[in-house]
Amino acid sequence: MASSSSVLQDESWLSRADRALLPVERIFALFSGLAVFSLMFLAAYSVSGRKFFNQPLNGYVDYIEAAMPVIAFMGVSYVQRFGGHIRMDMIIGKMRGRVLWALELLTVTLILVVILALIWGSWAHFDRSFDFAKPLWSRDSSIDIGIPMWPAKLLVPVAFSLLAVRLVLQIIGYGRALVLGLERPVAVPLILTIEEQAMAEAAHLAEQE
Amino acid sequence: TEWNVSVWGKRRAFTEHVEKLAELVSAKTNGEFTMNVSYGGLSKNRENLDGISIGAFEMAQFCAGYHPDKNRVVTVLELPFLGVANLAEEVAVSHAVYAHPAATEEMAQWNARLLMTSPMPQYNIVGTGDPRSTLADFEGMRVRATGGLGKAFASVGSVPTSVTATEAYQAMESGVVDTVAFAQHAHLSYGTINRADWWTENLNPGTVNCPVVVNIDAYESLSDAHRAVLDESVDESIEYYLENYAKLLQRWDDVLAEKGVEKVTISDAELSAFRAQAADPIRAAWIADMEAQGIPGQELFDLVMTTLENTRKGN
Amino acid sequence: MDPISIGLWTTGGMLVLVFIGMRVAFAAGLAGFVGLFWLRWNGFDYDPAKFGKALTISVKIAGQVPHSKIAAQALSLIPTFILIGYLAYYAKLTTALFEAAKRWIAWVPGGLAVSTVFATAGFAAVSGASVATAAVFARIAIPEMLKIGYNKQFAAGVVAAGGTLASLIPPSAILVIYAIIVEQDVGKLLLAGFIPGAFSALVYAGLIIGIAVIFKNVGPPVTGFTWRERFAALPPALPIVAVVVIIIFFVYNPFGDAWGTPTEGGAVGAFIVFLMALYRGMRWAQLKDALLETAKLTVMIFSIIWGVLIYVRFLGFADLPGVFSDWITSLDMAPLLILICILLAYAVLGMFMDAIGMLLLTLPVVYPAVMALNGGEFVTAADSAFGMNGTMCAIWFGILVVKMAEFCLITPPIGLNCFVVAGVRDDLTVQDVFKGVTPFFLADGVTIALLVAFPGIVLWLPSLVG
Ligand code: NA
Ligand code: NA
Repeated sequence: MASSSSVLQDESWLSRADRALLPVERIFALFSGLAVFSLMFLAAYSVSGRKFFNQPLNGYVDYIEAAMPVIAFMGVSYVQRFGGHIRMDMIIGKMRGRVLWALELLTVTLILVVILALIWGSWAHFDRSFDFAKPLWSRDSSIDIGIPMWPAKLLVPVAFSLLAVRLVLQIIGYGRALVLGLERPVAVPLILTIEEQAMAEAAHLAEQE
Repeated sequence: TEWNVSVWGKRRAFTEHVEKLAELVSAKTNGEFTMNVSYGGLSKNRENLDGISIGAFEMAQFCAGYHPDKNRVVTVLELPFLGVANLAEEVAVSHAVYAHPAATEEMAQWNARLLMTSPMPQYNIVGTGDPRSTLADFEGMRVRATGGLGKAFASVGSVPTSVTATEAYQAMESGVVDTVAFAQHAHLSYGTINRADWWTENLNPGTVNCPVVVNIDAYESLSDAHRAVLDESVDESIEYYLENYAKLLQRWDDVLAEKGVEKVTISDAELSAFRAQAADPIRAAWIADMEAQGIPGQELFDLVMTTLENTRKGN
Repeated sequence: MDPISIGLWTTGGMLVLVFIGMRVAFAAGLAGFVGLFWLRWNGFDYDPAKFGKALTISVKIAGQVPHSKIAAQALSLIPTFILIGYLAYYAKLTTALFEAAKRWIAWVPGGLAVSTVFATAGFAAVSGASVATAAVFARIAIPEMLKIGYNKQFAAGVVAAGGTLASLIPPSAILVIYAIIVEQDVGKLLLAGFIPGAFSALVYAGLIIGIAVIFKNVGPPVTGFTWRERFAALPPALPIVAVVVIIIFFVYNPFGDAWGTPTEGGAVGAFIVFLMALYRGMRWAQLKDALLETAKLTVMIFSIIWGVLIYVRFLGFADLPGVFSDWITSLDMAPLLILICILLAYAVLGMFMDAIGMLLLTLPVVYPAVMALNGGEFVTAADSAFGMNGTMCAIWFGILVVKMAEFCLITPPIGLNCFVVAGVRDDLTVQDVFKGVTPFFLADGVTIALLVAFPGIVLWLPSLVG
């Protein structure tokens, strides 16, 4: 994995926790990729059914809508682990040392704030669609074939909770770097210069060829 | 007091009673009680009931068929072939069901109070190619129809395919569907009429039910005077909606002629065969399903039938 | 405080956070959540007893957005388009394309550079991402050009510029994102990107030939391929043609009924490239890698989408877009002039920001203003300021802003494509690439001016769809 070089490791418990979380995050992200892959087959199946057998896939749209949260949310923590979420690094890319760690600590803490709020809010969203007393525990169903909505809605707080754990590790990592004045802290994504980024991308492509 | 109202799409016949209500309420309270109608800015249409439950806004419109599990009770009004003949009857049966304790109780779980309906005419279908006028023709037909209507078509061998209303034209053009079931205003505003070769004038397979609800807390915290104004303006708004829709229906025949769309009449024999095959089993299944969940399905269905009878007697 | 001020303060706060490096998705989500709360508590006159209630309502509104907005059929195009691009590497379509382009068109002046442009345009038809295209062709095309004596800065510039074609020529993730944000027909927008994309490629090719004719040392033609060799180069590149045909025919079939929705077209295209990749030796290890990479890029994009949509939900309650478009339309300036100012603002913004982030953050406010400028969503062509109806204006503006975003990929100081090309080649500095790309940068300026002056280039194809 080309981008993994940006997170350093050592034998501290923080780095161990970082590495312990990683396989979980990678599995989640792989699910996201597999869901994209399944869209492809779903469409091929639906189109050929319609074109050649006059038998379109009933509930095609419902299945896609159910797959979308898997695609969109399952990998959210994996991407955060490598610092992959898009940002503007004009300013932060120029910072060094404690100023850098302070800025990173601030923004990561703010991310945790919004993610905690969203865990609460997306759980409530799930909870409104879920009722133990109802058939299939469902209090919200899809438009075409009436599949329950709650499993897809539940994915959001689950994926965000994993992200929250990741964010706590990063807060500790940046906090440690800030307090101890570290140069190359573990368990947090280190900023690559844009040249390094391009280099990593190119190396990754080379691997693939 | 200022209320936020969440509807969707663009302003059309389907939302005129909401606009009228806002206008009446504001006029009658000298601008003390206003409504700010938002077309999609406050919520996605599927989530309007959630928004009411949260308290995100005070009033909203939704359609039962979008999410039957959220509103099992009012789906009685979406059963196929109920025999509703016009919008006035649709209003009568809807409001009778809305007043039933099972409906109010279910909506109260969403912190919602049913205020009025958005009466829709029968969802007759437009189609491309040769007209389909017999049950045999419906076999293998790809039809854009949701909810109970979709089930009805499925029971005679059609394949219901749900695309969103906004995608219906594209779906028709691309052959994803052969036919689209819509109310007339929607055939006009979503352009499906432009693509159509024919329209069934008497299939009358059923319709969707789209209530307008208010948040219970917001409703109860209105001053007595404002609440009275809101309640008494409902009938006037519905009246206006019906007038406006009647004008649109008058224009309908001209539109058909202008676009060269053939009117397809289905024989009584075919219609009753369709009803026997679609309406009866679907209704029986619906009632059994509801009763199993402790919802008085039979009672609700009977309520619709007696209301329909009484409305006709009254006229 | 009135809702507009709350809207402005919150937006300002968000921009500061983005500027100091907070991840865009979460900065927007935070701004939306805080704004929703502020608006609500303001409505309660900051009554401490109602703090909890305001917080609960705003948390729940914000918490609804991610699932409810992401679970949409049209959005499924984005991951599909990304997957096609990754699978295309394993189907070895890039080399096949370059080889075919070289054998067929390298005989013109500046031949290899022209071939590179057409190969990147062809690859754009299976790739939704510009940066990836630039990286791949930097490896394949630059060495060949250097081998026959091309100026190295020029060779690098060709590749950096050619890469940008991927976002206009369908499939394009960024066009889908635009369509979703402004709620327009995805199929029409994809279709609309086709001609401007091809047009940009032609402008680049014309420019290269011109340069090659004037400065003899830039790049000699390559001749000597037999017809047999030429035809032999075609089959490996065929899947590209299949994908183009499929996507076009799913959206619009000139010979009768179209085949399906764009969503299906994208997915079937991916399926074909997948089969090709299997045939060319892709196995589970490579597939897993492609899936993980697809997941990463998809999650990055979707996170921004839902984050920004939380902010947009707040804007809906604050009605900021309405006020902004009222202000724009009240300006005492010609609408076209205002439009040009908006495009210039994008050029400046694009120098510092990522393209997708830039569009997502600005469109919720800017798009309604542009539509209002034209005379509103339902205006007819006759009554409009730009001479086109609302739908067409939405398409035209979409292509213009996406072209602007592409333009920014090759402008200093953060033209990402240039960094990527320099990163791939040890013998090139970023300055070299920026120097080499300068003519293309000017060509893009000309292209954009032409698209503004002659909207027909953009609108002809989608107007056929009706
Ligand atoms: Na592309
Ligand atoms: Na730039």
